[in-house]
Amino acid sequence: MKTLLWGSVIFGVSFILHLGIWKVRLPKRQTRALLLIFFGSLAAFFVFFLVSASLSLQGCISVGLFVVSLTLAYIITYSAMEVDSPSLVMVNAIAGAGTEGLPKGRFDEMMTDDVLVIPRIKDLLRDGHVYLEGGRYRLTPKGESFIRIFIFYRKLLRAPLRGG
Amino acid sequence: MQGGVFEPLIPVFAFGANVLIQVLSARHIRGLGLLKSIFLGFGAGLLCLLLLEGYAYFIRPRVSADFISAAVADAVTYSALGYGYFHFINLGVTARRIRLLIEVKDSSGLTLEELLSRYNAKEMVSNRLGRLLGSGQVALKDGRYFIGKPVMLLAANAMTALKLLVLGKKSEFD
Repeated sequence: MKTLLWGSVIFGVSFILHLGIWKVRLPKRQTRALLLIFFGSLAAFFVFFLVSASLSLQGCISVGLFVVSLTLAYIITYSAMEVDSPSLVMVNAIAGAGTEGLPKGRFDEMMTDDVLVIPRIKDLLRDGHVYLEGGRYRLTPKGESFIRIFIFYRKLLRAPLRGG
Repeated sequence: MQGGVFEPLIPVFAFGANVLIQVLSARHIRGLGLLKSIFLGFGAGLLCLLLLEGYAYFIRPRVSADFISAAVADAVTYSALGYGYFHFINLGVTARRIRLLIEVKDSSGLTLEELLSRYNAKEMVSNRLGRLLGSGQVALKDGRYFIGKPVMLLAANAMTALKLLVLGKKSEFD
């Protein structure tokens, strides 16, 4: 019972704290801020458990795993929330046209590089995955390490190298 | 292993089984497809979770309420790990940022025009629209697009509601 109770309390408190901070000011590095809030709350509760001796080592591991797994699931959902997914943009555009449907020509006009691609290139620059030198985009070491993980995994799964 | 850290690590063992079965099935079962391999992996991990919960009860019988609440917590932990893994794979396959990084990596530096000639909205829309039409989420009739099955629309509405709750806006362009 303790894992469910304490795990839910820690995740709930962290989530409310995150919502409160976001209402006041949106952090520049949002994923980093989320990690700090959720894992910081978990660390604070662990100190409380140690001091009050209210949870065993087994209990701490269970609660820790419970909160970490929910946090990672939330952060990966949040990354999809930060930007507009092209598939969802398309579906929303078509739904917005109602029962008359969206003419193909109008649909093509709406789905431009300015909406779907350029903002993601700006994200890569902002996050330090690429840099601009002499008008050319090049990978930073951080970008190189980041992309290697995905290339390795695509090869492992025998998935096509180029997705998107 | 009795008592100790075996019981709290049950969801991690189950998640390990999930990843192992997913990778093996994606690599070796011809024609299975990535999505089905993810479902297969998740199901195998869930089965592993149930077996390990049963074993844990067998080696350390407890009051039913304690056992059930621990099993529910483990199921939540396992499901969250499985959900995260699904999105990790999806990110690697469909994310625009990943595709753009691959294009930059495979070159000695690209101008914006070169980058857009390799990956652009037209290609992206073509890929995704093909999937939406193929799965029946979108229908094309007389040169007009309509919503077909409502699953993607429900997902879009849920995502918009979540964006409004957390970010206070419907779109990144608001």
